[in-house]
Amino acid sequence: MVRETVKWATSEEIKHINALVPKKAKIIKIIKETLDITTFHISSENGRIPFDTAPGQLVMLSLLGVGEGMFSVTNAGDHLEISVKKTGVLTDALHEVVEGQTVGIRGAYGNGFPVDFCRGKNLLFIAGGIGLAPVRSLIHHAVKRRDEFGSLHLIYGSRSPADLVYKTELFETWPAVSDFKVSLTVDHGDDEWQGNVGFVPAFVEQIQPSVENTACILCGPPIMIKYTLGVLDSLGFSPENIFTTLEMRMKCGIGKCGRCNIGSCYVCLDGPVFSLAQLKCLPNEF
Amino acid sequence: MKTLRKCQLDKALDTISQNAVVYAPVKKGEMSCFVRYQDGVELELEENTLFSPKGILFPAAEKMYSYETTGLDMEIKKSDREFGLSVLFGVRSCDVQAIVCLDDVFLSKGFADEYYLTRRQETTIVALGCTNPGVNCFCQSMGLNPLEHEMADVQLFDLGDIYGLRARTEKGEILVKALDEVGLLAAGEGVSNPEVGEFFYNFSPEGVVEKLQMMFESPLWNELAQKCLNCGVCTFLCPTCHCFDISGKKQTAHCGHKLRCWDSCMFSEYTLMAGGHNPRPTKMERVRQRFMHKLRYFPERYGKFLCTGCGRCMAKCPVNLEITQVIRQVKEAVI
Ligand code: SF4
Ligand code: FES
Repeated sequence: MVRETVKWATSEEIKHINALVPKKAKIIKIIKETLDITTFHISSENGRIPFDTAPGQLVMLSLLGVGEGMFSVTNAGDHLEISVKKTGVLTDALHEVVEGQTVGIRGAYGNGFPVDFCRGKNLLFIAGGIGLAPVRSLIHHAVKRRDEFGSLHLIYGSRSPADLVYKTELFETWPAVSDFKVSLTVDHGDDEWQGNVGFVPAFVEQIQPSVENTACILCGPPIMIKYTLGVLDSLGFSPENIFTTLEMRMKCGIGKCGRCNIGSCYVCLDGPVFSLAQLKCLPNEF
Repeated sequence: MKTLRKCQLDKALDTISQNAVVYAPVKKGEMSCFVRYQDGVELELEENTLFSPKGILFPAAEKMYSYETTGLDMEIKKSDREFGLSVLFGVRSCDVQAIVCLDDVFLSKGFADEYYLTRRQETTIVALGCTNPGVNCFCQSMGLNPLEHEMADVQLFDLGDIYGLRARTEKGEILVKALDEVGLLAAGEGVSNPEVGEFFYNFSPEGVVEKLQMMFESPLWNELAQKCLNCGVCTFLCPTCHCFDISGKKQTAHCGHKLRCWDSCMFSEYTLMAGGHNPRPTKMERVRQRFMHKLRYFPERYGKFLCTGCGRCMAKCPVNLEITQVIRQVKEAVI
C-alpha cells in the first residue's frame, strides 16, 4: 500500500495546510482602555509580527489551559494588537495576563475589509463601543497611506466618557491627521464631558455625512447597527457601500468545524466583513 | 476484472495486513463498525455497518497538540501523527460518497486540514458493491450507484461465491498486484457485473435545493422541531456530518493538550457565543440548520448533497424523523 503523491496538498486551490496549532507569541504591552476593555500588543518570539494580517481579519488567541477565542486585529503595523472585552471565562482570564507572558496565536483568518474597493474613496467610519476595534485596523491602514484615500471621518460613541477606547488616538493622533474628522458622542455624559450626548444613530443623523464617493464602515452592537442602517439609508447610502463585520461562535477559523455558517457562507472564511448588499442575500440567522 | 474466492478472503486480508493496517466491517453484538482487522474477527459483509468508517479518517476525538507552561513561558508540541498506511476494506457506495464530501470540507476552499490530509493520503479505499439494499437505504435515490463508486481505489463486486475486483487508481493497482503475486486472484474472464435488488425508497431529490432557497421561513421547520429531541444521534451516525469542537484537557496546572471532538448542530451550546447571544436559540433553528445544510447549503457551496442515502439516521432516530420524508415534504410544500 502507498501514500498518495500529495494529490490534494498540491492542488492549486489549497493555499495553506493548517493543523490548527497555534504559534508561540509574546504579550509585549498591555493597555487598559476602560474598566472592562484591554488592548494587548503581541509579537512573535523574535519581536516581529507573528504573521501578516490585513485590516479586518481575525486571529485566534489561545491561553493554554483556559481556551481559545477569536478576536479582530485592531491595528496595522509591525506587531499585532487586539482589544478584548470581558464577556466570559477566557476574556476574564485574559485580563489577568501580564506583560512578557507567552500565549498561542494562529491566523490570520477571514477576508478583511475591502481595501481595494475603499482606495480613492472618502471613508466614513461609524462605531459603537468595542466595535471600534476592527474599524481601527482600517483607520491605521488609511492613515499610513493617507494619500490613497479621500477624506476620513470617524463617528464614534460609547456608553460614557470612561468607556471610550483608544483615547489618545481619538483626542490627539487622529484629529491631527490631515482631513480626518473625529466626532464623538456618549450615551451619558459626566461633569467634564463637553462633547455630544446621545446615541450613535441620532448623532449620525444630526451630522448628515455626505454620501459622495463614500464607503461607510459600520461596527458596533447589533441594536446600534440596526438603527444606524436606517439613518444611512435615508442619507442615500447604497447597500454596496456599507460594510460591517459579523460575529459568530468560532472554533477552527478555516471553514471546517461548521459552526459559524450563515446559510452557505462561513463567517470565519468568507467574512467577517460583509457589505450590506451581501447581508441582504443571507438567511436572517445571525 | 480479477476474481477472489470468498473462502480466500481471510488470506487476502492477512496479505494486505502485512503492509498496512486494515480496517474492516466487524460485528460487535448488536453493533457493527470498522475496526482493525485481526485473525478471527467476525466480519460483517451482509449489510452496512451501524457506524460509518468516517471515524477512521476523522476520529471522534483526536489529540491535536500538547502544551506545557513554565512561569511566563510555554511550549507547544504538535502531536506526532502516526497513522501509517491503511486500507479501508468493504466500504459501501454511500460511505465512499461521504468520504468525497469530507474531502471537499477538509481539503478545499483554501485550507487543507493537516490531520485529515495525512490520514486520507495514507488510506486505500476498497469499496464493496451492494446487491441487496437495506430497509433504510436510499443511495440510489440520491444519485449513487450502489454497485460501485468511481472514487474507490479498488471496487469489489459480490458475485456469489467469488468477489470481482477492479482497481481504479494507482493505489488500487498496488493492492490488487499484492494479492495477485501471492496467487489469490484468478483472471475472471467472462464474469459480468452483478445486478442490484429492489429499493424500498425510490424518489428524486431534484429541485430540492431551489425549493429550499425559498423555504427559510417555512412552517415545516416548526413542525419537524416538535418531534425532534435534539439528541444528536443522527449527526453522530451520519457519515458526512463533520462538525467538530476544539477543547482543552488539563493534566496538571501546567500541562495538558488540545483535542478536537465531533460536535453536533443539534446541541444548543454549539452556536452559543461568549456574550450570551445564540443565533440558533431553539430547536426550530437547529433542525432547520441540519436539513438546510445537507440539502441546500452544502450543494450551494460544494455542488453535491451532504446526504448519501445510507439511512443510518432513519434507522436510529428515536422519534422516526426521516430525511426521506423531509425531502418529500419539501418537494410538496406550497410556497
Ligand atoms: S436522531 Fe432524530 S430526534 Fe435525535 S436529533 Fe436527530 S432527528 Fe432529532
Ligand atoms: S470557525 Fe470553524 S467553520 Fe468557521
